[in-house]
Amino acid sequence: MADAVRTGARAPATDRLTLARLLRAREAGVFIALLALCLFLSFATDGFLTSLNLLNVGRQISLLGIMAVGMTFVLIAGEVDLSVGSTYAFSGLATGMLIIAGWALLPAIGAGLATGVAIGLINGVLSTYGRLPSLIATLGMLSIVRGAALILTNGQPVTVNARNGALPEVLQSFGYMGQGYLFSIVPMQLVFFVIIAALAWVVLSFSNFGFRVYAVGGSAKAARVSGISVNSVKIWAFVLMGVLAAFAGILSMAFLPSGQAGRTGVGLELDVIAATIVGGASLSGGEGTILGTILGVLIIGVMRNGLVLMGVSPFVQELMIGLVIIIAVGIDKWSTRRTS
Amino acid sequence: MTEQQTPAPIVEISGLTKRFPGVLALDRISIDFRPGEVHAVVGENGAGKSTLMNILAGDLQPNGGEIRIDGRQATIASPLASRAAGITVVYQELALCPTLTIADNIMMSDMAARSAVSLVPRDTMRREARAALSRLGMGKLDPDTRVGRLSVAEMQLVEIAGAIRQRARVLVLDEPNSALSKRESERLFDIVRQLRGEGVTVIYVSHHLKEVLDLANRITVMRDGRTIETLDNDGLSEDRLIRAMVGRDLDTAAQWSLQPDARSDGAPIVLSVDKLTAPSLDGLSFQARAGEILGIGGLPDSGKDILGEALFGLCGRSGHITIDGKELRAADPHASIRNGMALVPADRRGAGALLAMSVANNVVSASLPRFSLAGFMRRGAVRREARAQVARLDARISHLGQRLATLSGGNQQKIILGRSLVTNPRVLILHEPTRGVDIGAKAEIYAILRGIAGEGVAVVMISSEIPELIMNAERVLVLRNGRISGELTGAGINEEAILARAMAS
Repeated sequence: MADAVRTGARAPATDRLTLARLLRAREAGVFIALLALCLFLSFATDGFLTSLNLLNVGRQISLLGIMAVGMTFVLIAGEVDLSVGSTYAFSGLATGMLIIAGWALLPAIGAGLATGVAIGLINGVLSTYGRLPSLIATLGMLSIVRGAALILTNGQPVTVNARNGALPEVLQSFGYMGQGYLFSIVPMQLVFFVIIAALAWVVLSFSNFGFRVYAVGGSAKAARVSGISVNSVKIWAFVLMGVLAAFAGILSMAFLPSGQAGRTGVGLELDVIAATIVGGASLSGGEGTILGTILGVLIIGVMRNGLVLMGVSPFVQELMIGLVIIIAVGIDKWSTRRTS
Repeated sequence: MTEQQTPAPIVEISGLTKRFPGVLALDRISIDFRPGEVHAVVGENGAGKSTLMNILAGDLQPNGGEIRIDGRQATIASPLASRAAGITVVYQELALCPTLTIADNIMMSDMAARSAVSLVPRDTMRREARAALSRLGMGKLDPDTRVGRLSVAEMQLVEIAGAIRQRARVLVLDEPNSALSKRESERLFDIVRQLRGEGVTVIYVSHHLKEVLDLANRITVMRDGRTIETLDNDGLSEDRLIRAMVGRDLDTAAQWSLQPDARSDGAPIVLSVDKLTAPSLDGLSFQARAGEILGIGGLPDSGKDILGEALFGLCGRSGHITIDGKELRAADPHASIRNGMALVPADRRGAGALLAMSVANNVVSASLPRFSLAGFMRRGAVRREARAQVARLDARISHLGQRLATLSGGNQQKIILGRSLVTNPRVLILHEPTRGVDIGAKAEIYAILRGIAGEGVAVVMISSEIPELIMNAERVLVLRNGRISGELTGAGINEEAILARAMAS
């Protein structure tokens, strides 16, 4: 990062004021809010500031986080994907059923991820060559994929266990993916989230593809004139989103280890979009960062955790989460309006 | 440059034709652009300049004719093909990513040419961007600044920097300095001269004849979709150019034989404007009398395009506006309507019409209180009024419930006009009243406007179409730089006089 910030011999004065620069970064507001929230909870509750609880928060946010990483790409590219909750359910259930059917672990997961690719591809093609607004295309896919999951499972719950026919060694590795701990302490879900977020950060911030995503969302015309294929960049963003939603669904299946087409991941797309937007991504495209998304996911996760620790009723929790979304995005918009 | 030998043209256009539905925008034009020249293209609105530039940019495809690039026949199938041929068009509305940095924007084409699975060479990008900026004397700009934070002028220069970096051989500047301050314009002219020195062809489209005469090596005059002549800039005068732009055949107006005579002398003053100041308007004062059609002309950046909105209260303003002696205090469209002002805006699709709604609803949409009772629409009254307006304006519609979007431009305009009339205006302001309207409907609209004026309404017609002003207005105010640069009456209203006051410096 330091290398990326440093410039040539005559670096402008702003580069030297690193602290001021950090504070002006778009993530700063979200970060300060998160810090304040954590400080408050550390004093207000006994249980918050323990490594066990923090790792628990880490696990709870991981699946949301993995999907929010994908959503960051889609939103920056100037699109939106409402079908992720359904993809999450469909892919997880598909993988679960294949394992029950006696498949080995990797083929079963591979098939689950492939359904995510396929859904992302359809979303992408409909929103570009199909000339549908992605809001409409993915709203349709939300229902179609949910319906496909219901048909696939006949509406019955899918539970992955030996009694249903899963091979014991497959069951063990699959269970470890969802329920296990690295070094007996870090939840595997969190490990996956960290790896995916790190890779996504590299891709978005340092790769040519990431540059194209920003360019396409910032001004499709400018990108097109420069020779960037706007449609293929957008399709790739949807495919990435589809794969990550599928992977999160598979992890959820491994964790629980069961799911039901009528319930799993219903309404999840709104949580994902909310976390991404709290993290600074813009619905109009061109803006957003992986770091911001992680902070957005953390705010929502910490908030939920803190409210539980403080014994706040689940009904009030929902209300508070809504307030956080409006206040967090509001602060960003109100402050940017003033500066421009 | 040696004078003896003219270099082979980079771009050579012959017999190029572009047809839009009902309009021949380019009529077999021929023009050539040589390396290392500044070639200005001048002409009135609608002469075809923008169409030609859009064809060069790959945004429009011609219907006929030939484009040769480096002597080889070429088609410019897309904006990308245009760039690949070395042509860069800097539009007034820019093709930049506001959310990315200056360096990102300047280097975007380079990035597109690399593999998508490669790292972004930030340091190189910054260095190259800074180099491109310093060539334009903009070395002080930080390449890490987001483009959205720049002024329009700086954005324009960033786009030019990107063009130079791609080794553009032909740079098209379409009204480049309409958004620039005087100092920024000077800077731009220096850059244009510098590029010419480096062998770049600069195609310069401008209304500002003085600048054109300062900068250009050759000047092509366009009129009515034709290239009239290409002149070497050698002892040319503004008058000479204006004469070429207007042409000898001024018979359009004569053919209509509608030159109005002064009817409203001595009639009471209805609209009085005193020191009106608004964005790009600088203290205008004028009056309009009952029964008068007052024409307002000027170039696109003269302030005429904001005048209607400023009078009506759609933008912030200062100064005094009175109607029949009653002052409109705040800039408030509702108050304007209540006090007897009506506006027919230029942008029918964007601002004027409820395209998705029915003819009847459009007619009453500016006077809803009169047509509602306890919160419900009085459908009978609405239909009666709509039927009356449709009959009066002779709008061709199939039924009153027809969606406005399905009407022709001329009939849409009549309905919008009807909407204004329902408010019983004392002052009717029309901005580009016949834009996008075919010639038959134009004549009908003119007749309607004269009828309205005849009823004692003060009609203010703001228009870029000079023949329209000549035909209809008994008095014309010409704006330049936000001020009135001339007032013409009676026989003094002619194309040359209007253009001279709009352009001359």
